[in-house]
Amino acid sequence: MSRVACIGAGMTRFVRRAEESPGELAALAVERALEDAGLDIDDIDCVIQGTAPDAFDGIHMNGENLTAGSGGVNKPYMRHFVGGGTGVFSPIHGWMHVASGKFKNCLVVCEEKMSTCVPHPAGAFLTIFDHTTEQPLELTLIHIFALEMARMMHVYGYTEEEIAWVSVNNKLNAMDHPAAQIAKKITVQDVMNSPMLSWPVKRYDISPTSDGACAIVLANERVARNHCKTPVFIEGVGFRLDTAYWCTRDLAFPNYVAMAAKDAYDMAGISRPEDQIDIWEPYDPFDYKALHHMNGLLMDRTGRKVKDLLFSGAFARDGSHPLCPSGGALGVGNPIAATGLMKIAELYFQLSGQAGARQVKKNAHRGIAQAWGDLMQVGTVVVMGSEGGMPIHSRASAWNDVKPEDLPGTSINDVKDVPHIEYSPNLPYSWDNGFAITTYLDGLKKGKLRGSYCTDCGRMMVPPRQFCEICNLRSVDMYFDLPDSGVVETFTISNVNWASLPLPDGKQDLFAVIAIDGAADQMGIVHKLGEVDPKDIQIGMRVKAVWKPEAEREGTITDIAYFRPMKDGEVVEVEPIMVKPSELTNISAKSFPGKIPLDYAYTAGIGGRKFYEDLAQGKLSGTWNDEREVVMIPPTHFCETGMHTLDPQGDARELDPESGYVVAATQVFEDRAGHTLDEPVWIVQVEFHDAYGTLFGRLIDVDEDEIEIGMGVALVATDKVGPEHICFRPI
Amino acid sequence: MGVCVMGVGISGIAPTSTGVSYREMIKSAAEAAYQDAGIEPEDLDGAVSIEEDFVSGYSIADEYVPDQLGVVRKPVYTICGDFLQGLASAVMQIQTGRFKRIVVESYSKASNVLEKDELLSFAYDPVYERLGISPHYLAAIEMQRFLDMSLHTEGDVAEVVARNRARAIGNPLAPYGARISPADVLAGRPVATPLTDSMIARHADGAVAFVLGSDDVIETCRKPVWITGTGWASGNSVIHRRNHGISVGTVLAGRMAYAEAGIDVPAEELDVFYVNDLYAHRQLMHMDALGLTDDQLPVINPNGGVQGMGDLLEANSGVQLYDAILQLRGHAGGHQIPGASRALVHGWRGLPTDTAAVAILDAERR
Repeated sequence: MSRVACIGAGMTRFVRRAEESPGELAALAVERALEDAGLDIDDIDCVIQGTAPDAFDGIHMNGENLTAGSGGVNKPYMRHFVGGGTGVFSPIHGWMHVASGKFKNCLVVCEEKMSTCVPHPAGAFLTIFDHTTEQPLELTLIHIFALEMARMMHVYGYTEEEIAWVSVNNKLNAMDHPAAQIAKKITVQDVMNSPMLSWPVKRYDISPTSDGACAIVLANERVARNHCKTPVFIEGVGFRLDTAYWCTRDLAFPNYVAMAAKDAYDMAGISRPEDQIDIWEPYDPFDYKALHHMNGLLMDRTGRKVKDLLFSGAFARDGSHPLCPSGGALGVGNPIAATGLMKIAELYFQLSGQAGARQVKKNAHRGIAQAWGDLMQVGTVVVMGSEGGMPIHSRASAWNDVKPEDLPGTSINDVKDVPHIEYSPNLPYSWDNGFAITTYLDGLKKGKLRGSYCTDCGRMMVPPRQFCEICNLRSVDMYFDLPDSGVVETFTISNVNWASLPLPDGKQDLFAVIAIDGAADQMGIVHKLGEVDPKDIQIGMRVKAVWKPEAEREGTITDIAYFRPMKDGEVVEVEPIMVKPSELTNISAKSFPGKIPLDYAYTAGIGGRKFYEDLAQGKLSGTWNDEREVVMIPPTHFCETGMHTLDPQGDARELDPESGYVVAATQVFEDRAGHTLDEPVWIVQVEFHDAYGTLFGRLIDVDEDEIEIGMGVALVATDKVGPEHICFRPI
Repeated sequence: MGVCVMGVGISGIAPTSTGVSYREMIKSAAEAAYQDAGIEPEDLDGAVSIEEDFVSGYSIADEYVPDQLGVVRKPVYTICGDFLQGLASAVMQIQTGRFKRIVVESYSKASNVLEKDELLSFAYDPVYERLGISPHYLAAIEMQRFLDMSLHTEGDVAEVVARNRARAIGNPLAPYGARISPADVLAGRPVATPLTDSMIARHADGAVAFVLGSDDVIETCRKPVWITGTGWASGNSVIHRRNHGISVGTVLAGRMAYAEAGIDVPAEELDVFYVNDLYAHRQLMHMDALGLTDDQLPVINPNGGVQGMGDLLEANSGVQLYDAILQLRGHAGGHQIPGASRALVHGWRGLPTDTAAVAILDAERR
């Protein structure tokens, strides 16, 4: 197995809204990373891309769209994915590419453009939940975080103020980070005073939504030593993905992080992480998460180690265990996958002595970065080390002195300030329920909560499964009606809806994880609470389902209106009753309807802005590419084969919009969804003299008989923005 | 280090799969693969799934991978790519020396996606490429450019459909076997000239799973098939500056896989080929890119290809790989290529990409 080192890093500024397109953001980070590594794109053997859900960027198969911006054109290029854990998984996947011996080096790129999703990217998180058993409750990520934070506070005895220290620390550290989006000197009281979103989560407990990109270059030991004076080696990697049944999990302690950390420590030969690791970059999308993850990284279920370190001040940048010296997601910003890779870049900067004002006081030679994601479910961990530790400011590096203005990335206030395209995909689904969920939904319609029983592990499972996920997929054939009562494991009092918008008229939603009576320990479901004053809710409270009237029940989780507190002395049935599962027939086998209810507003990007501004004036320009000595159309902010940035405004070369000629033409009979058009349309691919590239658009005002390859066409001026409006007419 | 396919599993392929959830469908393929490999899920060191969010209908679809594979809390990740890219990733993972057995899985519940063309349109670049019309427009442009540049005709494209659909009749797994003449294909409903509806593979549901193992753990499996070469590459994702007459991604992926497997003349050294025919013209384009000619047609896509098996989206080349393994084990039944001992499987990501991947398989270890 070859050793693998990081030999260069690059990133854009992290901003709330970037004007750059996703590909442009990636390209800007790649250019910086290559420059830092002293390599050209031609020297790169393979490229990998990490980006979190397509629902942010608003492009299906987003990794494919990002090929050009990532430097993947004409190369082995692959996109990997573990949700929010993607950023730190990216160097792990890169490590596989190099450590396997298949490649000498690997360019690792992470990009996220969350601002494209409107009105708020948080809306994308509705569809992370189970489409049949959870989404009808209209949950979002803040809810699940709040449920986890409340549970952690309960189990480990943290106060909101104690947790808020992390937000204060990280935002302060970020003041020295050139890419930082929300670096700020704040106090614990500021966090406490910030708006309550979903108790216990307040605005300042959360990282922002962000646009940004980060890239690093990995290489095998030989290449690393030849190209870099201070390579930082990947010493250990670990990644673990837990069950999707998140309500059955221990929400207070992240087993999956601890297991991933253990894998990484075993590989790195670490037995006492708290003594052998100098720098800690746990994922901190919420302040409590940093502590939650530290419990995992220190493999300490008691939580005592982390509490001691927190209260002793050890987590400060100058302390013994610097926590998020970069500023983390809370301070630098959280373009999700790019954030994880930013943490890897921070280890590279710190351990090679190029972290500038962020350089930790201690002589650090080993660091750990971790990311997390999915449904509170995945831990990705990388341990990196330099050889013998780096003296502070040992290397006269550009990174030591980088200022915010040195980093690329254009921040805008509103997408409406720049040329943009609005788009609403119509994406309905109908999910086959299958055997177990049909039985569950049929039960709900009858006013019963159903589970199934694994005779191997002895767990009564709800929702029921047809097989046991922890018993080697053993078949599960025994179904039971369970009591419709249970115990509140954790709860949140929410002021926001699934799209992170305020609930109307001061309304509050009360979500809870409820361990169902008669089911296995901690076997819960998520649902709403009702008939209760929010301030009276407590963990451990007994509750009972309130069902909708029979006539209104549809066979869905919302057939339970909510759970109400049980009255003193109220007695419930606690014995499960074995039932005949649903028989599947052509009539009973149903599917569950759903939709991805998202809208998008795409910036045209730096290249697209030039194209559409020109188009409005009836002009066409290309972008001069000095290295390749061509004029590229459509205008572009970067050369996808050379991976250097171009200036579509400054290096514009005017072309004659009437000099086009058709190289391919097709008559299209269907609309974008495949429905037959009333009038077929002609689509042409058009080349222009003296330009490298083509344009695609509609051919209008044309007699069908005239259409032939080579025919002369002119680009039609329009002030409308979007590819649907690109038209040509015959000359 | 040698890496082999220890076990294979498939759920069955059909235009719809009502009554079976995606979890239950994947579990049936995975269990079959584990039994074939002679292992239990607990013997696995991890899993790689190949899928895309908007096809599954989930954001962050990898959340829903571990349970039905029996790999809860193990190293698991998703490749958003061609099935063979996921396979290649798993091979590299094993070659690091830190993982022994990995399951590679993909599935399609295409029937649950109610607006598939709308979804495909959503894969196009929003700034320049979403023209508000059928996303198949790019296939039509490609087909024209390919026919202009090559010696092929529209009739040759129609032949691909007729041949592959007819072969599917002899393959009990293939849902789209049909007797259809090239003339029928050409006379089909026009989608975007010269592309007709019959030239586009129809969607299908199904799941596939493969257990990969390093050479020191294969004692449990009956007939290992060795993965001796993998290659993958992407052409230009900017369609405005892509040559639509050739698949550069396939050329580069093929070269990489051939080099690793030590193959100089693929047409002579390999016995059976699976070449992506999601759009019929693409089979011809990919054959050119892989150095194959009409002489190999009798041994290309013996199972009916994507035209015959159906479009299972990210799982497409997994389904082809499944047939390739059967061929090399001599278990392909009525469509067995006699004496097949080396196979090539090619995958293409579909529009609007030129991303392709190739795997070379050997019945015997070399």
